[in-house]
Amino acid sequence: MTQFNGNIDSFGMDTISLAGPLEGKLKAMREAGFTQVMLSARDIVGHEQGVEAAIRVVKDSGLRVTGFQVLRDFEGLSGGLREYKVDIAKAMLALCSAVGSKVLLVCSSTSTHATGDMDVIATDLRRLAMLALPRGIKVAFEGLSWGRTINEFPQAWDAVCRADMPNLGLGVDSFHAFATRTDLDLLDEVDPDKIFLVQLADFMWHEIRSVEERINTARHFRVFPGEGAHSAEVAELVRKLDRIGYRGDYSFEVFNDDYQQIPQATVARRAHKSAVWLGETVLQRSVPLPGQMRLKRARLG
Amino acid sequence: MHIESQREGLQTTDNPLGMEGIEFIEYLTTKPQALGQVLETLGFHPVARHRSREVLLYRQGDMNIIVNVHDAADGRLASAQGSPVIGAIALRVRDAGLAYRRALDKGAWAVPTQVEVMELNIPAIHGVGSSRIYFVDRHKEFSIYDVDFVPIPGVEKRPAALAQMHFFGAVQYIGWERTEDWTAFYAELFGFTTIPDQTRFGILPKGRLLRSPCGTFYFQLVEPEPGLELEADGQEYLERIGLGTPDVAAAVAELKQRGVLFSESVRAPISDRGAVVAGQLFGLSFELVHSDRA
Repeated sequence: MTQFNGNIDSFGMDTISLAGPLEGKLKAMREAGFTQVMLSARDIVGHEQGVEAAIRVVKDSGLRVTGFQVLRDFEGLSGGLREYKVDIAKAMLALCSAVGSKVLLVCSSTSTHATGDMDVIATDLRRLAMLALPRGIKVAFEGLSWGRTINEFPQAWDAVCRADMPNLGLGVDSFHAFATRTDLDLLDEVDPDKIFLVQLADFMWHEIRSVEERINTARHFRVFPGEGAHSAEVAELVRKLDRIGYRGDYSFEVFNDDYQQIPQATVARRAHKSAVWLGETVLQRSVPLPGQMRLKRARLG
Repeated sequence: MHIESQREGLQTTDNPLGMEGIEFIEYLTTKPQALGQVLETLGFHPVARHRSREVLLYRQGDMNIIVNVHDAADGRLASAQGSPVIGAIALRVRDAGLAYRRALDKGAWAVPTQVEVMELNIPAIHGVGSSRIYFVDRHKEFSIYDVDFVPIPGVEKRPAALAQMHFFGAVQYIGWERTEDWTAFYAELFGFTTIPDQTRFGILPKGRLLRSPCGTFYFQLVEPEPGLELEADGQEYLERIGLGTPDVAAAVAELKQRGVLFSESVRAPISDRGAVVAGQLFGLSFELVHSDRA
């Protein structure tokens, strides 16, 4: 880095926050000072020149891939639907591996066809983790706040514990935790080494009154940490995760319709400001020693 | 060895597939003759050829090694130096079809089979790297080789093993912090169990040792040396096989006479516990391990 990077190496942007082609998204992130990117499968599959070209673009960007998203509605199905979803999962894992991602994000099921039986859910997650294992991929399971059975991180953690696979862990998304007003102290129950991804976002209104409004807000009105009405809560969550020993990545999961209408560089600069706030003010991180960075990179694979 | 439970048929839960050892180990190579020479110095004999592919079966005692040239161009040859690579391990199981379906249900990746007319369809799943794990249940009254292979005329079909050698295990190189993952893989799919750190075989004790539910085969999982984790670049593969023998010294003497070179370095000296055959064919290595199973 030639510019001041503000200790933001733990923070990255999601491609879903930016409009336009993949090349432009990655360039904007890199030029803003980010070193990692959370990729959406749509960016790869929807690339104008095809999947191979998209993979090359990612590799040439020099950005480390934080993770790959998102596998939905996987667990709790039966019969042909279950096998269909396993095929989808395999295709996602193959793509995840091809882009050099070590983490696949999986959201809890919203399907009315899925059972709420936690034993079945755990068995399915265990199978998914096994599918991911030979490729060296970790599965981060996240409780979507409108998930049918699992809609808060403590339930997602329960499923992860029941499934009990070393490469299956928790994905924590601040938006969902705030939307369901889940007690953050419940993170004390979670093994920090089993949190495989943390996604951060803020939003502009203080309260979400219905599930419909929750879905609408999540998909269109998120903002970067520090930009919304929940800055104090985001800061509290990040400090809490740091206190329990989480040392992994934070990605900004910001779906925002406005950001789709302004230049990529402008959005990336806003994200960078947010990352600096988190790194400098919230976590008060000191500049790491070169040896620590090397070890961390190795751990992240 | 811990095979007592087998005698009384108590292994059903601990041995979910009814595993009974290794049917064959396959090498992929672009240099089948050179590899064949190495195998012959180690006491293996070429006994049969595949009916439709450039594949040779080598054997000594209960050990079958398949040298596969056919697949050498299909991208499974990972070694840049041209060294043969271990392409597959075939497990002897009670019911290959059941074992295969059970593995898939637990999250294994199926290998699509490509068989010619009248050839056996041997079910396989993906293992570490580009390797495969086959399930074979025809290893008693008749064998898979009776169908797919033609005996080489005039050679002994069942040559005895030198120094009572037998398959003992395989060393698998894995990525940084991947020991727990691969332990779960072998436990979940086949019923391998972790043996205590103080129990070690051979002369290279690094890593974690997993024992097959039948007690006759081991996987040794070895992560990169600290400080070399970046250089290893996450590559994972089966590095070498271990051959068991009840008398390492006798085996070493006999193999030396046949021209086999052993490592005599400080890190891997010849001892009663084992020895390492090194420097064969672009770095291909084998390990001798003391084991009382004949």
